[in-house]
Amino acid sequence: MLAYVTRRLWQTIPTLLGVVLLVFFLFTWVGGDPAYLLAGKISNPEQIENIRRQLGVDRPYYVQLWIFIQQIATGDFGESWATNERVSAIFATRLGPSLTVLVPLLAVDTLLAIAAAMLVAYVRGSLTDRMVMISCTVGQSISILVYIIVFQYVLAYQLGWFPVQGWGKGFAENLLKYSILPIIVGVIVSVAPDTRLYRTFFLDEINQDYVRTARAKGMSEARVMWVHVLRNASIPIITNVMIQLPGLLAGAFLIERFFSIPGIGREVILAVERSDFPVIKAVTIYVAIATMIINLIADLLYRVADPRVQLK
Amino acid sequence: MLSALTQPAVSHAADMSKTLRVTFQVAETGFDPTRTSDYYSGMVIEAIYDRLLTYDYLARPSKLVPLAAESLPLITDNGKTYTFKIKKGIYFTPDPAFKGKRRELTAEDYAYSIKRFFDPRNRSPYAFLFEGKIVGLDELGARARKAGRFDYDAKVPGLEVPDRYTLRIHLKEIDYGLSHILAFDLSGAVAREVIELYGEDTSAHPVGSGPYRLKHYARSSKIILEANPGYREKIWDFQPGDDPLDKEIAAQMKGKRLPAIGNVEISIMEETQSRWLAFEKGETDLEYQLWDVATTFMTADGKLKPAFLKRGIKLNRTVDPEITYTYFNMLEKIGDQPNPVGGYSLERIALRRAIAMAYKTGERIRILRKGQAVRAEHPIPPGIAGYDPNYVNSIPYDPKTANALLDRFGYKKGADGYRRMPDGKPLVIRFSSTERDRPYDELMQRSLDSIAIRLEIHKDRFPELLKLERRCRIMMRNAAWIADYPDGDNFMQLLYGPNTQQSNNACYQSPEFDKLYEKSKTLPDGPERNKLYWAMARRMEADTAWIMNDSRVRNMLMQPRVIGYKRHPALHQEWMYLDLDSSAGK
Repeated sequence: MLAYVTRRLWQTIPTLLGVVLLVFFLFTWVGGDPAYLLAGKISNPEQIENIRRQLGVDRPYYVQLWIFIQQIATGDFGESWATNERVSAIFATRLGPSLTVLVPLLAVDTLLAIAAAMLVAYVRGSLTDRMVMISCTVGQSISILVYIIVFQYVLAYQLGWFPVQGWGKGFAENLLKYSILPIIVGVIVSVAPDTRLYRTFFLDEINQDYVRTARAKGMSEARVMWVHVLRNASIPIITNVMIQLPGLLAGAFLIERFFSIPGIGREVILAVERSDFPVIKAVTIYVAIATMIINLIADLLYRVADPRVQLK
Repeated sequence: MLSALTQPAVSHAADMSKTLRVTFQVAETGFDPTRTSDYYSGMVIEAIYDRLLTYDYLARPSKLVPLAAESLPLITDNGKTYTFKIKKGIYFTPDPAFKGKRRELTAEDYAYSIKRFFDPRNRSPYAFLFEGKIVGLDELGARARKAGRFDYDAKVPGLEVPDRYTLRIHLKEIDYGLSHILAFDLSGAVAREVIELYGEDTSAHPVGSGPYRLKHYARSSKIILEANPGYREKIWDFQPGDDPLDKEIAAQMKGKRLPAIGNVEISIMEETQSRWLAFEKGETDLEYQLWDVATTFMTADGKLKPAFLKRGIKLNRTVDPEITYTYFNMLEKIGDQPNPVGGYSLERIALRRAIAMAYKTGERIRILRKGQAVRAEHPIPPGIAGYDPNYVNSIPYDPKTANALLDRFGYKKGADGYRRMPDGKPLVIRFSSTERDRPYDELMQRSLDSIAIRLEIHKDRFPELLKLERRCRIMMRNAAWIADYPDGDNFMQLLYGPNTQQSNNACYQSPEFDKLYEKSKTLPDGPERNKLYWAMARRMEADTAWIMNDSRVRNMLMQPRVIGYKRHPALHQEWMYLDLDSSAGK
């Protein structure tokens, strides 16, 4: 196991290097010159040159690339070009609000989707199955924007069940007061496609010989479903959940914008609008690293879920 | 104990139980006056720092009055020397940078703050305000760029501080706009100790001597200001004008000590729906960023709907001090390619004029602006010195005449139905915009279709468009200018030839215009200068360097409890002049 983990960690280095090169050249050549944006309403070529010098974008590409690699190695991406705030401080202060919403959202969504999928898979072809599937299809056909606008208007404004928007100072206040509606919206948006997906995983397992055997041996339906089927269906479910985890780092910008949550997703959009490359680069690299680590964790979890899985 | 001894003796004038709740639709960038350029940061900066001058709250057109200065400047040397006397006994709000001592605002602070615009490390987006103006300052900035270090102790001949409370500014040339620049929000005084203590993080540590100070700051989310407890005694005592609203405000506010409101809570809300619902639920007090939903609360003639009136909601409508325009690149060539809209020959002027006459400004206002804008007739918008309310743009919307004009100058239609150049070559107008501007692209497309001119849309990212614009590489593009200070010069300089590759994005070169502009610079605001502005606007129209578009209307909605509000065309916010009436709306 240790050898496997070590080998996989070594493999992340060339992958990360590829990401670094891609990000660097993408921003260098396609990203545009930020100096013109930072120069303000009136500027002359001399000022543009000064800004480029101050930002270091006038240096040869290999020097800029080396600085970028050093930043990744030290985890110090310097300061935001737009606000002078340290990039590390941006992550430290914005990640919390994003996770306050997105971790419960992911947990609730996963549990609900598993439960619903298992139920409809068990009663496949029944009216319940059809109704749930139709609802899921309709639900996932509607844009998240519609959910946000309607729920914010009806539940928060008209019924007054939740604040329209806002963010407080304490974790409990934020989780229990300001995050509930964003979580509801997020769950409704994601539970429909997840239910449909997980249903197929369960159906694949329900039709397997081992299920028939378990039933023939007189095992209870609850034990067949919750122990055997769920365990075997959990590998693709783990994959799907793990795929979603790196996205937590990038936040859910629409939810954050509409509900005024000071999260990382909102910050990323701001950074893109301002051509604030240190922030964009840091987010891209962190998401890449998180994806690689989470993929490794997912592989290890496969082994936990199914001891037959061999880690090579 | 030490802190108690060093704190100002004056108690709060403001009612600390009162909180004014407002929103920004775009996140601030920071509160260092030299390092910021965005409108929203400027609002906070204006509330925290003291400028030498400001504007009378009620007087229209804008009237300069002293703020930290004892009086308006003494202007001598034929308009080239400005002398300010700074009021004694103004103190910065306490900060660790002052090591527990009270820190008085002095003339040296203003000299230091102006110098900071030239420090290359600050990359100041507003350095242009002072560039080329003060004797010796540009040279000091140039030396700093070479040496990599700005010498703040170097003597600048144009920034003279003969004593603790006197600042004398020597200009290279006569400039009657300097007073406006010194009343601009970014001209507030910072303390050198504060800047040196916080280094690169000055944007998050604003320390001023103005009516408010920063109490809580969660970047891009929440900014809470509280009334400066040591703020000098300032009483609401403005003379009402002819506007009936002035009299109402004066009756409500006269004699109150300012600021009256103890706290200002600013929430960043990017989405219109969030801002609108928050206002509707009474979670915010002032809101104007609601163009998209204006028809929800307003009738077509700009009045509040009865349901809102019944609730006591108030509306204040003003035209923002801004213009939008579409510029033509006036150069004969763009790079090494011929520019069909450039040059000053009659046929090129005819083409530009025809496009201007076909441009559907009315549709732009009605559909894209949802009726919340007025047509811009003059390069100077309402509320700005030099604006002429009687001026009518000489280029009307008239596609029929535009077609006739093109026919007359040889822009004949080809077999494909589109017009060609007089020499028979294809005529394609390249209009540049960002991804967000699609509705404006479609409007331009419809406008040019009406005169059978083929349009090509060039899409690029905003920074790239800026880069191309600065190099005179864009054929046609929409642009906007919001007043930095309420003087016509701030707008007319956009057409001044030597400002090409800076702010003159049309790269317009008219010796006649330039001559008039240079003359206008030597004159103070008044009929003589206005006459020059009139001639300059006509000159630009004759050459048709711009299509004048519109100026947005600001619909400021207020909860019933907000009193004292009147939009000022030059100030970025009016918080210190307002009060909250807790009995209103009950």
